[in-house]
Amino acid sequence: MADGLFQRRIVIGAVFCVAAFALVGLRLVDVTLLRGGSHGGYEDRAVTARADLVDRNGELLARDLPVKDLYARPHVFWNKDEAAHDLAGATGADERRLRAGFLNAKHPYVLIARQITPATEASVMHLGLPGLEFEPSAKRYYPDGRNAAQLLGVTDPDNNGVSGLELGLQDRIRTSEDGEPVTTSIDMRVQYILASEIAAQRQTFGPRAAGGLVMDVRTGEVLAMASLPDFDPNARALTGDDTTRNIMVQDVYELGSVFKIFSFALAFEDHTTRMDEVFSIGQGYKIGKYTIHEAEHMPAVLAARDILAQSSNIGTAQIALRSGGVRQKEFLTRMGLLTPIRTELPEQRKPMYPSNWGTIETATIGFGQGISVSPLRFLASAAAIVNGGREIIPTFLKTDADRRGAQLIKPETSEQMRGLLRYVVTNGTGKNANVEGYDIGGKTGSAQVPGEHGRYIPHALRTSFFAAFPIENPRYVLFVLLDQPHGTKATYGFALAGYTAAPLAGRVISRIAPLLGVPNTAPPTRLADGNS
Amino acid sequence: MIRVLNFFCVALMGLSILALYHVSERTRVAQMELTKVNHQIRDARASIGVLETEWAHVAGPARIQQLAERHGMTNTVSAQLSSFDLLPRRGDAPLNNSPLRNASAEAPQSSVAVVPVVRPTLSAQPISERTGF
Repeated sequence: MADGLFQRRIVIGAVFCVAAFALVGLRLVDVTLLRGGSHGGYEDRAVTARADLVDRNGELLARDLPVKDLYARPHVFWNKDEAAHDLAGATGADERRLRAGFLNAKHPYVLIARQITPATEASVMHLGLPGLEFEPSAKRYYPDGRNAAQLLGVTDPDNNGVSGLELGLQDRIRTSEDGEPVTTSIDMRVQYILASEIAAQRQTFGPRAAGGLVMDVRTGEVLAMASLPDFDPNARALTGDDTTRNIMVQDVYELGSVFKIFSFALAFEDHTTRMDEVFSIGQGYKIGKYTIHEAEHMPAVLAARDILAQSSNIGTAQIALRSGGVRQKEFLTRMGLLTPIRTELPEQRKPMYPSNWGTIETATIGFGQGISVSPLRFLASAAAIVNGGREIIPTFLKTDADRRGAQLIKPETSEQMRGLLRYVVTNGTGKNANVEGYDIGGKTGSAQVPGEHGRYIPHALRTSFFAAFPIENPRYVLFVLLDQPHGTKATYGFALAGYTAAPLAGRVISRIAPLLGVPNTAPPTRLADGNS
Repeated sequence: MIRVLNFFCVALMGLSILALYHVSERTRVAQMELTKVNHQIRDARASIGVLETEWAHVAGPARIQQLAERHGMTNTVSAQLSSFDLLPRRGDAPLNNSPLRNASAEAPQSSVAVVPVVRPTLSAQPISERTGF
């Protein structure tokens, strides 16, 4: 009996051992064969909160760089005052804030500084203080600095977008698959050229602000958007006259004579005017108690094409009145000019127009006063005039698709307008925008600037130029704006668009057209250095 | 017999314990090594990202413009793109020696001394008799 009990216990023990070994064997099979190849959840790439922003050519616009946030446990400091002083000196943090945090017993863990660079980290380590902890973090860096600063926007210390495309494309940037960069429509070369030429013009004519836009008329891609003054997105604070405001989308302006293209497009669309129809101009055009004057001396009569070429307010008012206020408002609504434009940029401003759209309003809106739109809104609508008459909504993401939408005006009207815009540059106020071989069509605008109490500021102008090139089959449109430029000796004291905005547009086009593959069609003459 | 079997099982269990411990230790060391290498990969990728950013900064249009101006290049004349259709044909005689303005990159008139190019002269030797052809 004792032997039987003994043997039973041995068998039970053996069964337990076999079961234990079987479990180990099963676990080995599970770990090595069934789950082989996994890394146990470890990610093999550095996790960044935001994907890169790149331009249409793959050039880097914005990237998260690895930095660290510095925290301290002040209860381990031997001398809290001295530690606050040393850390403030090393990191640039506010010494009083640090001292108050260190002396406050309620906070065992004090933030010293965020997003410190490796150089600052080395300075802090050199202090030899205990109780310091570095938490990995990321800082958004913009390699091109001020170039496209307002357009790209910035992020806050928590790496959330707060303005520009950083905010507008926030979801796309954060959820990008495998950290693939987000490709924008911007061409940094065109952006730089536009911004630098505008900056040079600002130096010459001293406007308060200036800006420009370049857009593809078929895809709607915005290749460049400049707004000056600008700011350095890599700096912690604004300096001088730096501003984060993007005047191309956040401000609305009475654009003046560039708006006449819509009056003429409507007239041709409705056949209320012919290109060669003659209008009487005179010294002033009375509408009720108001009198419309010209900005410059005009002949007594002008053909319709010359009314636009010479930018006659009186002639344009007559053409606009033929359409009538109801039809004019309907047309501008159809062109999108009375509604804010919705793009990937979060900043936008609603157009301003009179609630009472009477006769005098019809006349003044005809030549671009009394209605305020943002430059981006204007350019999108003007692009529809020249691109075959089809609606186009701007986009800041790269695309190859022809995004032209609904037919807003007839293709024939668009063709007429293209010819007329070319005439403005060859025979009218846009001559200074002409660049041989690039067939530029365009329109100048020299608008009065509204001041306080509903009156216009004397001798203040807001000048602009709208261009399309090559005008026979436009691929790109350009718009430049100077807010209250001053005349110079070279311009005989005049600050009109023909002297300020038009030459700027011409210089920009002459520099960007080769980059964009727009051929120069000037006639060949002779070969250089006798190679013929 | 039972005793032999017991002894064998105990010995097998002991050896298994040793083997399991050995594998476990090797796994732990490999895991540490893997973690270390993954950290190195992550740090290298971060460094590459920083270097790419630095490259984007130094190769940006503003800096290139500064360098171009420092070396006497200007914006006034750009290399012009053209198509083969617009290129003048060899032998076309232009009228009045008017200047060419398209279809070739025009270098601005520079005050920097130009190194003369030595133009090779055609050999009188037929192509078929030249070495290497």
